[in-house]
Parts: sequence; structure tokens; C-alpha cells
Amino acid sequence: MVAVTETADQATVRQAGRKSLAALAAGLATKLIGAVAVLIVGTLVIFLTMKAAPGDPALAALGEQATPQAVAAFRVQHGLDAPVYAQYLSWLGGIVQGDFGTSLAVASGMPVGDLLPSKLLATVFIGLYALTLAIVISLVLGSVAARNRGGTVDMLATSLAVFGISMPDFWLSYVLIFGLGLSLQLFPTYGYVSPVVDLPAALYAGFLPALAIAAPMAAVFSRTLRAVLIETMSRSYATAARSFGLREGFIFIHFVLRNALVPYLTVVGLQIRYILGGVVVVERIFGIPGVGSLMVDGAFARDFPVLQTCTVVFLAIVLVVNMLTDLVCMLLDPRRTS
Amino acid sequence: MSQLQVKRRTLLQGAGALTVLAGLGIRPGETLAATDKLRAAITGYNAINTFDPGKASLIPEFYVIWSLYNGLLKFDKDMQIVPDLAESYTTRDDGSLEFTLRKGVTFHDGSALTSDDVKFTLERLLDESFASPNRSKVSDIDKIEIVDDLTFRIYTKKPFAPLLTFLTNARTGTQIVSRKSVEAAGNEAFGRAPVGTGPYKLVSWDVGEGLKLVAHDGYFEGAPTIKSVDIPLISEEASGVTALLGGLADITSTAPAADVPQLLKNPSVKVLRQPGLNVRFLSLNLQKPPFDDVHFRRAVSMAFQREAMVSAVIFGEGVPLYGTIPPLLGKYYVPGERTYAKFDPQAAKEELAKSAYKADEHEVKVITWGGSWWKRYAEIFVAQVNQVLGTRFAVEVTDANAAYAREKSGDFQIGVWGWLGMIDPDEYMGDIFSTDGWRNFGKYSNPEVDKQLEAARTTLDTDKRAEYYHQAEDIIMNDMPVIPCFCSNIHNLVRDGVDGFVQKPYSNFGDQFANMKVS
Amino acid sequence: MPRLLSGFLRHRTGAAGLFITLFVLAAVFIGPSLLPFGPEDMDFMATLAPPSLSHWFGTDSFGRDVLARVLAGGQVSIFISAASVILATSVGCTMGIVAGYHGGWADASLMRIVDLLFAFPAFILAMLLMVLFGFSTLNIVLALALVYLPIFARISRNTTMLIREEPFVQASRLMGRRPLAIMFTQILPNITAPIMVQASVALAFAIILEAGLSFIGLGVQPPTPSLGGIMADGREYFGRAPWVLTLSGSAIAFALLGINLLGDGIRDMTDPRLKERI
Repeated sequence: MVAVTETADQATVRQAGRKSLAALAAGLATKLIGAVAVLIVGTLVIFLTMKAAPGDPALAALGEQATPQAVAAFRVQHGLDAPVYAQYLSWLGGIVQGDFGTSLAVASGMPVGDLLPSKLLATVFIGLYALTLAIVISLVLGSVAARNRGGTVDMLATSLAVFGISMPDFWLSYVLIFGLGLSLQLFPTYGYVSPVVDLPAALYAGFLPALAIAAPMAAVFSRTLRAVLIETMSRSYATAARSFGLREGFIFIHFVLRNALVPYLTVVGLQIRYILGGVVVVERIFGIPGVGSLMVDGAFARDFPVLQTCTVVFLAIVLVVNMLTDLVCMLLDPRRTS
Repeated sequence: MSQLQVKRRTLLQGAGALTVLAGLGIRPGETLAATDKLRAAITGYNAINTFDPGKASLIPEFYVIWSLYNGLLKFDKDMQIVPDLAESYTTRDDGSLEFTLRKGVTFHDGSALTSDDVKFTLERLLDESFASPNRSKVSDIDKIEIVDDLTFRIYTKKPFAPLLTFLTNARTGTQIVSRKSVEAAGNEAFGRAPVGTGPYKLVSWDVGEGLKLVAHDGYFEGAPTIKSVDIPLISEEASGVTALLGGLADITSTAPAADVPQLLKNPSVKVLRQPGLNVRFLSLNLQKPPFDDVHFRRAVSMAFQREAMVSAVIFGEGVPLYGTIPPLLGKYYVPGERTYAKFDPQAAKEELAKSAYKADEHEVKVITWGGSWWKRYAEIFVAQVNQVLGTRFAVEVTDANAAYAREKSGDFQIGVWGWLGMIDPDEYMGDIFSTDGWRNFGKYSNPEVDKQLEAARTTLDTDKRAEYYHQAEDIIMNDMPVIPCFCSNIHNLVRDGVDGFVQKPYSNFGDQFANMKVS
Repeated sequence: MPRLLSGFLRHRTGAAGLFITLFVLAAVFIGPSLLPFGPEDMDFMATLAPPSLSHWFGTDSFGRDVLARVLAGGQVSIFISAASVILATSVGCTMGIVAGYHGGWADASLMRIVDLLFAFPAFILAMLLMVLFGFSTLNIVLALALVYLPIFARISRNTTMLIREEPFVQASRLMGRRPLAIMFTQILPNITAPIMVQASVALAFAIILEAGLSFIGLGVQPPTPSLGGIMADGREYFGRAPWVLTLSGSAIAFALLGINLLGDGIRDMTDPRLKERI
């Protein structure tokens, strides 16, 4: 889901802003150690859940037409007949050596490490695309609303933003497909083009899914931006600047917007989980081969090497993005530079 | 009012984006296809594990395999078995089959097809250590004897009626592979770098996304006019329709039944459809109450309307089924309702009265999976039976994998089930209703049925064979070990301007690419 | 309270949200008893009928009245979303307050659990739970609660850490009051505003999440109607009966609009920094 922790994050950010670089490094080390522990526990929980759940990767790989003999042979071939703890330890041992294991049923026999890069690229590309759209939309909506606070424009912009998080994502996807895709023939209704192969085509093909993903984010961003802008506009430095006779537009850009950026960026950073795993439905409708879809396929197929590896990658990405957001916020924080 | 807002907003954004994209030199509608390129979408599936026919098991794997390889035989458009790689075949006096291969057939690697490749292919399937999921198709073969480079004989342990069917280029796994390439690559790698005799070669494969094929110019029927084929894997069937309507695909492998009536009216799409080779039935566990009681089974079978099921579940895209053999199996099929396989609420109640169980004595969970028609299938069955008999049936939705596992291991009372794309009556009868049949999940056992089915399997004369199946089916439909429901139509959607696809009832796909025309 | 209400009514969007929410609640809880059709009544003579005077939202493939199903599904969705948010709030806030108040070891370990939950995509979490324990309303509630838990835990922890050092808390501590009492009587009341705002957003989002789960086939067991299930069905026969998906989706968007506007209103009213400037 879209994380909407506007109010609380302003608190986090104020704390982050006060941290020094050394404290950040120490915090980073603790976080890393904690992350490894969490990772081991997390993957173990997934592994045991998958083992306890009804279902069988052999049936996913071989389908409903699989004979019992074929299923038995598959299990032997992939070491599924080994004791449960041994299976987990062998996967964990592989990870340490950089081997993510072999897919069981999503792409039987393929190293998971070979599967991931293209899926990650798709997820990151569509995610950044959506994020960019969301930021652009929210910068317009949020600033317009804040500058016209209380007026009709504000109400319209705010309502539009609220509407963005009030639409179920797959409903919006279909509205876009039938409206912009099939009726007006403006955009392709399906498919993914790798941005590495052909960037303009990728941007064109990815527009509708990116927009569907962007809508709720744009809504959250605009609301956050509006709130923090209103707050900063009435702060003493803005009032002071105004009393020096500086122009309103100058104040808005140099004082208000800059101060508002920190909480805004924190909320942006929080969307990483949504971009990685919350957009499966949109990915499936538009056929974007992202990591989220791979995980869902992995879970449906009981392909635990794929599922566990994706978990590890997710956690790593979330961690890195969290730290990057902290860092950017620190650098941007005016209290640090002044 | 809410809708109006969506429209206005998306329109504005769309228009803005369009301006930006126009600046980048991109123009909508730039999806027109070249005439030597085909975009054939596999819809409703997104898993392919291998292109090795010996290891393949899933339908989407076969969709592609059919274009990469050939069988010794194949089905023509009337479902008659005709030669493919084999030029001719005869039955010899000792019961063996002698095949003569076509001259001048080459594999993708340029080597010539010989009897040795056929022998290698079949023996590989038979090899227990290879663990082929398709071993049962050839398990009655005793040996393969090479006469010369283009002639060989197949001996079976006993007369084996389905053998010719199982040597076709269908969902069989007996497609001929190149010995040289398999031995050079190893079994595991061959699955990703397939070498066959078919009209297309595999160029690239992106897991979960799709694959690309290119024409095999040395194909024995002549170089295909379609030079390259893109095959995207579209997991949502509905997205396949939007892709085709949006001009992003030329043909799809399936279509959602619900969309068919609307698509039939759309001039930019051709809908190919016909009854398919499939059966949808309710699988019953004969070892657990209440379905261990024959009267209870019969009562339930008479307590729902199969016609209503066809219209509400698959939107009329199919026919009700009152037996165990699908209508497309020709002389093996017996049409018409049966005593216990039809809707008859009065008889159902009378039959229930004879049962050892009262209607509401057991809470019954009907297993199904997913979110679409499989769920509705169980839902409508449960609603009708509860209404007619006063039973306590409930739907239990789970995911497909859990449902397969539970039904196959006997951890169920009743579940929706279906077999699809099988081409021989033995698969619809022998495998399902023999005491030791591997598709017999409910553990049905009737010695008389076993006898008839074994006789059918070993009788080469098709009229006599059909007679055995008819007798077996009569007994089975009295015992009611599964409750037949319906048989679905199969569909392909073809973009206007694309021609030459000949649909066959087992859901063919890749075998037709070479004959198609795109304009 | 009356002053709060009158303030609320002056807040235009908040008032709109309040009215929409009340209207939706009335429709969902009173509406079904006024309709001539039950949500599970099938009529095979009238399948996929377009909207008409007798069936305002048309009928589905079993001839069931879509409006009746949307309203009944609304009840189920409201229950699921409320239960999951309540569960997530109570557990998450407890974790957050304890972590924020004690700091150190308790903070580090509790927040690592939260990190793990936070990094884990909601869908997969829900899937695993349902595949393991079966698809049921309870499991959806649990899954959604797990999705929200880390958010509430983080908010309450961060806010607690800020309040912990405030003079009135320090004073209580010096007076020898027990930590548990301080947490409940002094910290909890002071963090309710951000929690309530987040809860209103979560309430709305739980309904969307449930719909998404049903879309990939992980919904409540039939014949219980759910908004997600109705939309997933409607999408299947969209080409033929577009009103099922269109109308049910619009109804949901309308209801969520109400909840979200209401949430905005509450935030503006309760946030002291914003209040003085409205």
C-alpha cells in the first residue's frame, strides 16, 4: 500500500536532521547487523510456511498432467526429498557464496541470480517513471493548493488528490486502458519495452501503468506538500523575509519550498515498498515483468528459492533507500548548512 | 460525478504526455506489423520451464514445442492422423509398426534426420532415470529396431491401441529431438537450447515475459513465409484481449469466454471457436463420506442443471456433458442425457432417501481455485445442490497449486476438476477409471470396468474399441465416481488481416505459424 | 464537542467527507433491508441484465442484483478493514510506545521486527498467510493488520520519543509513577491525533487492498460477497456487462472519497499547528 505517514515523518525527519554523519554511520552499522538477523529469521519463516502449506513445486512445474512418477522424480532431482532443515541450510550456504539457488517451478532449473536483473530493471524503471509522474503532479497540485489555501482552487486540487487514493488500482488501470488505450488509441494497452533497449519506446509503452501506479502516490505527495508548505509559509523566517519586502515568489522558492523538501522527500522515500511489491496487480494487467510479479508467481508455484531471494533483495533495497533518504534529508536540511 | 473527474483528469494528463512523447518522436499507432513477422500471444499462462518435449508438461510449453519440432505423425484439420516426419507406416504381421521417414529432413543444426534420432528420442523417454513426465505415452513400447537410415520398427509388449495417437505432434512429448544436439548440450541445457526439425528455431527466451522464434529456412515443407515470431506470455487472459484490440498482438492462444459474444460483433477481430477436447467434472473422493455412498453421488449428480452451469460459468461457450468422453472424440462419444446424469430434482430426492446419509449430515467442502470461472463453477454447483437437496455444501477457494496437491493426494471430499487437450480415449477413460489409473484421484474401483478398459486399450480395431468404451461408460455412469458437468469451447482471437490459422480441438497453436499470412 | 462539530462543518471538504461517509454507512447498513433482492439470490432468467429500475446496478452472471451485492460486500469490507485497522493500531501502538519509551535494546529489537514487516510486500504476506491457513475473512484481517502494523508502530514510536522528554512526562517520572501508567495516561493521549489520521487513511486503503487480493484470486470465500470479488468478476465480463465493474468501482471510489475527506478534516481539526490557521 501507499505509505501515508505525513505527520509522523516530520518528526522522524527532525530527528534525522539533527543526526551527525558519525551517528549516521553508527546507526548504519547497527541497522546492518539487525538486518542480517532479520533476514535469516524472515527467510526461515517463509521457508517453513511454504513447507507447511499444501502444494508442491513439482506440481507447479509439471502441471495438472503430471504423473506421480514424474512428481517423485522431480522431487529427487531438486533435492526436495532431503530433510527440511538441510534444504534451508543449503540455500543459506549458497547465499553466503553469492549463489541464490536454482528456481524450482517459475523457471525450473534456472539460477535465480540470472532471473533477477531483468525483473529488477523493469520494477525500478516503472517505479521511477511513476515516481517522477507523481512528483511532477504533486508539485503542481500541492503548491497551487497551498498558495491558494482555503480558496476554490485549493478545494479542487485537494479533492483531486483525495480522489487519487480513493480509486482501487486495478479499477483505475481498466479506466485508463479503455479510455486512453482502446477508445482514444493514444497509448498501448499492454506490454513492456526494456528502457535499455529503446528508451523512448519504453517511456511510451510504460505510460499507462506508470500513471496507474503514480495516481495514489501523487495524491499522498500533494497532500503532504500542501500541509508542509502551509506550515512553513507561516514560519518566522518566511514572515521575516516578507517584512524585508522580498517578493512572494522568491520567498516561496528560496525559503518555503526548500524547507518543505525534507518532509516531502521522506514521504517520497517511504513509497519504495509500494513500488516494489504493492503494484503487482497493475504489473499483471499491463504485463510488466517486475519483481513483485515474480514473487507472486514464486509463492503460487511454491518456488521457495525464488521467493526467499526476492525477500532478501527487497529488504536490501528498502534498507538502502531508507538510508539514502536520511542522507539526502540531512544534506538538504537548512539547519545543517547555516 | 466521480467518473467524470477521472476522465477529465486522465485526459488532461494523457494529453500532456502525448505532447511530450510527440517531442521525442514517438507517434501512437506505431504498432503496425510487418508482413513477415507474427506476434502470437500465449494468454492465461506465464510459466514455461523447458522446450525439451521429453521434459515438457505444461500447455504453454507445448504451444511453442509444436513449432520447434515435428512428430512422426500429426493430426489434420479433421483430426485424422496423417504422416508428419514419417512418410508412411505399416503394421507388420508380428504386430510391430514399420515407419519410413521422409528424405531430406534436417534439424536446426543442419544435421539430417535419421532413424537413429527417432530411436534415441523414444528410448530417452523410456529411460526411467530421465524421469520424463510423458513416459506413460510410450511405456508399452518394448523396443525400437533400426532397419536403415530412414526405416525403423516399433515393437510393443502387447497390442497398444493409443500408440499412433501418442506419436503425433500434440500434447504427447514424443516429438523427435536430435541425438547429436542433446548429447552435446546435456539434458538440462537442451531444454533451453532446443534443436528440432520444426519450421522455427528459438532465438531468445525471457522467463515470465516471452520468447522469440526465427524461421528454419531448411524446413522440409519449404521455408516459412513468416520469418520471425514474437511470443509474449500474458498471464491475464483479459489483458490478452486488450493487447489484441490495441494492435499489440496478431493472435492469442485462448480467449476469456465472457468476452466472446462481444468480440464476435467486433469487425477488427476474428474469433475462432469450436468445442474442445476437454472434460469438466466434479472429482469425488470415494473413500470419504458422504461420497462413498453411490446413492448420495447419484442424488448430487441429478440435483443441478448443467445447462445453467454452461451459461453462467462459461457464458454459453460449451456444451453440457452427461458422460465421461468429450463430444469431439468421434465414435467414442455417446450423446444424450443419462439416468443419473441429468437434472431431475424429484429423482434426486428419491435417490437421496436411499442413501445411508442424510442431506445435512456432513458438511461438504467443494474445492476450487482462483478468482474466475473455476470459482463460479463451484459456486453455482453448491448453490443449486443446496437448494434442491438441502445439503450443507460450501465452496472452499484456494490457490491452484494447493488444489492440485490436495486432490491428487486424496485430501478432499469433492473438488472441481477438468482435463484438457488429451487426444486419446484411453486418457479420458483408462487413466481415470481403472483401479490403478494414475488420474484416478477418488480411488474408484470396479473389476468389470477394469476388464473393459484393458480390452479397449489392447484392441486396435477402432469400432470394437469404441464398443468396449461404451460398455465401460455405462457402468461408470451408474456408479457415478465423478460427476460430469460440461465441455468448454476453445478459442483463438485473430486480428483482422491475419489469416491461415487452422484450429484443432486439442488447442493447437505453434504448429500453424508457418502457414499464416499477415497483412 | 459541539464546538468541534461546528468547526468541522465550517471545514468544507471535511463536512463533505462527513456527509458522504454517513450516507455510505446508512446505505450499507440500512439499504439491504429496503432492497427486494438478497445478495445471494440467483435468477438465471436475468443474467448480466443492464441497470434498470428494478436492478439499479444491473445483475451479474448468476443474475444476482449487483447493488445488493455491493452493499452487502460493503458491510464485509467495512468489517474487514475496521477489524484489521483496530488490530494493527492496538498491537502496533503498543510496540511503538514501548520501543519509543524504553529505547535501547527494546527499541532496537522491536524496530527490527517492524523493519522486516515493512520491507515485506503486502501481497506476498497476505498470500502466504492464506495459502497456509486457508482463505478466510479472519486471515484477510490478519494479513491486512500485519501490513499496517509497522506503520502504526513507527508513528507511535517516533512521536513517543519526542514526547518522552517533555517536562510533564519528566515530572511524572520524577514523582515515581510506573512506566506503564505514564505510557497509558500521558503518552497515549498525546499521540492519538497522528494515529487517528493514519487510521482513517488505512481504513480506506484496506478496502482497496482487499479488492486487490480478490483480483488475484485471494478473496473471502463465496458466496460471501466482497467488493474486490464483485469487481474481479465484473472485470471478467467487462466487455459484455461494463456496468458491473464501472458501477461497483465508482461506488467504492465514492465511499473512499468520503472516508479520506473525513480523515483530512479530522487532521486539520486535531493538528494544533494547522488548527490556528484554518
